[in-house]
Amino acid sequence: MTAATLSTPADAAATPRPHRMFNAARLHTANPWTTLLLPWIIYAAIFALTYVIWQIVITNVGGVENLPPDAFRYNGGAYWALVYMLIAAVQAMNLTFRFALGMSLTRREYYLGTAGYFVFLALVYGTGMTLGAVVERATDGWGVGGAFFAAQLLYEVPIGQVWILWIVQFLVFIFLGAAVATIYVRWGSTGITVFFIGLAALVVGALYLHAKYDASQPIQGWFATTSLMEFAAWGVVFAAVCGVAGYLLLRRATPRA
Amino acid sequence: MTTIIETTGLTKRYRGVTAVNDVSVALSGPGIHGLLGRNGAGKTTLMQLISGQEFATSGEVRVFGESPVENAGVLRRTCFIKESQVYPDGFKGKHVLKTGPWFFEHWNEELAQQLVADFRVPVNRVIKKMSRGQRSALGAVIGIASRAELTLLDEPYAGLDAVARRLFYDHLLADYTEHPRTILLSTHLIDEAAALLERVLVIDAGAIVIDEDADTLRGTATTLAGRATDVDAFASGREVLDRSRLGGLATVTVTGLTDADLAAAAAAGLELSPVSLQQLIVRRTGAPIEIEEAS
Repeated sequence: MTAATLSTPADAAATPRPHRMFNAARLHTANPWTTLLLPWIIYAAIFALTYVIWQIVITNVGGVENLPPDAFRYNGGAYWALVYMLIAAVQAMNLTFRFALGMSLTRREYYLGTAGYFVFLALVYGTGMTLGAVVERATDGWGVGGAFFAAQLLYEVPIGQVWILWIVQFLVFIFLGAAVATIYVRWGSTGITVFFIGLAALVVGALYLHAKYDASQPIQGWFATTSLMEFAAWGVVFAAVCGVAGYLLLRRATPRA
Repeated sequence: MTTIIETTGLTKRYRGVTAVNDVSVALSGPGIHGLLGRNGAGKTTLMQLISGQEFATSGEVRVFGESPVENAGVLRRTCFIKESQVYPDGFKGKHVLKTGPWFFEHWNEELAQQLVADFRVPVNRVIKKMSRGQRSALGAVIGIASRAELTLLDEPYAGLDAVARRLFYDHLLADYTEHPRTILLSTHLIDEAAALLERVLVIDAGAIVIDEDADTLRGTATTLAGRATDVDAFASGREVLDRSRLGGLATVTVTGLTDADLAAAAAAGLELSPVSLQQLIVRRTGAPIEIEEAS
């Protein structure tokens, strides 16, 4: 890193530079706390609390044998991880965009690098949750028939599918967060307000149409006939749409003080 | 000489405000140049346009012959340090310095470490908790150590004390001498930076009002000092920018003196001295340029 000679204009052609995108991804790890360390601490804390609650219930009923076998199978604790990652994605996007431009990155390099990092996060956390599920199943639900990492719908799903579903769920939440964050980066708090008002209007409109035309039959039918892997495929599509939307929004964003 | 920055009719309008108005300038080859102007004159916006961070409303900006907007080939040779730079939450000085070599290919780590020591940047402190001067110092370290072929420094020493500012000028000049490059420096502190500047661009209300070599600009006016009667006699009928009197002694700053005029003034027993750039710019822009208090 001691090169001091000025490069000639000839090598300044705007060729793609993958290492700059990689470095944009690395920007998110310069301070690993928010996206790489804190989530594990939060998941561990949620799991520990859940486990303690199980023990309290077991003590109160006088032993595991007095509980129905599915008592601890319905648990949404692990889903906080998804919500947390959504928020982490919003933060990461909002905070590093202006810094990345300050370090002479293009928006494109920054966004592609960041998207790559987000996919990496989904793989890491999806795999982490799946490993939790593996241990959970091997220990007969942590010794108490509990389900935390593969609860509810996932309880009897093959572990390979659990893996795919976790990764896709992380992708969906992280890229949703990224897309919402780009609205903020582009238009500030006004943009976010307009977005959520618009979203609320859409939801209410959908509910109205649902009530008026009684769509419960086809909707329930769709859910009943769609397999988890088909859901996963739709999840990937949704995440991809969010990802493209985020890029289109960020392409014309400017760093504001 | 290679043209580093070239703008033609460059204009940026925000709702109701024209921040940069029809700016056409060209900077070529290595040099340290000043972009001077009052608060809100458009210095930062112009630099953001040059670094591709803002989109022009009309007109054109070319850096190294190409549009800088979304142009990695241009941006990787450019470093833009601004006072209002936002850093990610929880980032410490050392995190920022760690990323320097990732993005600036001429980054010199040894120099960065030396600057950190000289400016006393608290690298282990969270940036949010740094003082304005410490944040400026961190920016100055990156700006100098990046050794980018085009370095834009927007108010690089806001909040720095006099000692740190002196260090900044010394380091900038020393490193520039060893590694010539194009540096555009915006500042309120005209006289302090004057000795460094080759070319002076003065921006006022978004428009470039002065674009001249610093030496030429200085040569357009001279300060004469001597006995009040002699001074008054010489100055009568000439364009006087500034006048002051102390007892029987007086000084005037006059423009448009020829060599013969200068010789005549010297013969009349008047003492000649070059005029301060700041005084000149204040006069030429017709409004006082705000002088930032050293804190």
